[in-house]
Formats: sequence, structure tokens, C-alpha cells
Amino acid sequence: MDEGAEDVPDEAPTDRRFPRRVYRAGREPDPRFSLANERTFLAWIRTSLALVAAGVALEALDLPIADGLRLAGALVFIVLGLLAPAQAWLGWAATERALRQGRPLPSPRLGLLLAVGTTVAGLLVLVGLVLR
Amino acid sequence: MTDRPDAVFDLGLQAERTALAWQRTALAVAIGALVAGRLAVPVFGAGSLAVAVLGVVGAVVVLVVSRRRYRAVHQSLRARGDLAAVRSAGAPIAALAGVGLLVALLALAFVLLR
Repeated sequence: MDEGAEDVPDEAPTDRRFPRRVYRAGREPDPRFSLANERTFLAWIRTSLALVAAGVALEALDLPIADGLRLAGALVFIVLGLLAPAQAWLGWAATERALRQGRPLPSPRLGLLLAVGTTVAGLLVLVGLVLR
Repeated sequence: MTDRPDAVFDLGLQAERTALAWQRTALAVAIGALVAGRLAVPVFGAGSLAVAVLGVVGAVVVLVVSRRRYRAVHQSLRARGDLAAVRSAGAPIAALAGVGLLVALLALAFVLLR
């Protein structure tokens, strides 16, 4: 796969692929890394769906959880579910750009927020279960 | 579709794994839409069934696009060893991120309005 890499011209300045901010930077990276980046994006999308499902399930099912805490937990889950697609898109674009430029990969910007938020939502549900 | 195994240029089966990742994401979208449509009937009435139908149609579109993309990736890898010949890699990605955002907004409306 690497033999042809030398004679591939640097086509970044005229590359028409979307988004141009990504594809006009650097040169074509190892395709395995681009595809892995694509799968990471898809994993974030599925994470978003799971977070949203958790929030909706808390409210839609008749669960024995104190009302206020249940709603708070559901809202935290769904707000996290709103942030995950943003992380998915921004993370994909930043990583692809870094791959093309041969720079170190960016860290997941919203990773800490999602970890803390998921913990908080879990605690809200737990306390709500105990208080009910 | 293929006359030679992927392993010739793709030892990690990256293209196939990526296609499978798109497929399970489409499946998650379809199931999520069906469940959401069912749950939202008492809140939004018959309109929630439209959401379910829309979600399933969207999942089918994702499947078709990922199928075509798999083919394009495969051909680009075989022809030149990179992905430069694959058209608009970012467009389906942006569209799916938009769908994810929309789903979360609908869920927010569901939780607050019920």
C-alpha cells in the first residue's frame, strides 16, 4: 500500500472534497487511519443515541424514581446526547486534519465533560431510586 | 463486487470494518426511531409515527450510502492505495452528525413537553 505513496501528487490546494478546511490541508494520509477515524466518528454517534435513549427511557417508562431527580437525570443524559454529535463532527474533522498534516492527534475535547456528566446522571438516578 | 480478497492491500480489513460500523449505526438509528415513534404517541399523537417512518427511511439511506462508499473505498484503495479518489467523505459524516443532533433535540422536547 505504501509503494504508490511517493508518486501521488500533493493535491491539497485543489482538493474539492468536503469539508475543504480538512481536505486542503496537508497530504493524503495512510487510508487505514482515515477509516479508523471514520469508525470513531460512528462510535460517537452511537454513544449519542445511547445517551438520548437513556434520558428518554427515564421519562417514558414508569420508573420508581423521585420525580425531580428523575427529570434532572434525564435532562443531563439528553444534554450529553446533544453534545456527543458535536464532539463526533469536530473530533473527526480535527483528527483528519492532524492526520493529513502529520501532527499529533487532538484529544477528545468533550471527553471529560461526558465522563463527569454520565457520572452525575447516574448518581441522580441512584439517589432518586433510594429516596423513592 | 470483488475479484480479489481485500487482504492484498488491506490487512486489517479496514474498509469492511468501516462498512460494518456504518451498518450497525444505521441499525441503531432505525431501532431508535421505531421505539421513539411508539413512545411519543401519547405526547405528539400520530405525528410521532411520521418520525418513526422518517427514521427508518433515513437508516435505509445510510445503508445505501455506506454500501456505495464501501465500493468506492475498495476501488480507490486498489487503484491507488489511498482514499483520494473517494468523493465527499465528509458529507455523509456531516449529515449523520446533524441527524444525531436532531434526535437529541426531539428527545429534549419529548422530556420537557410530556
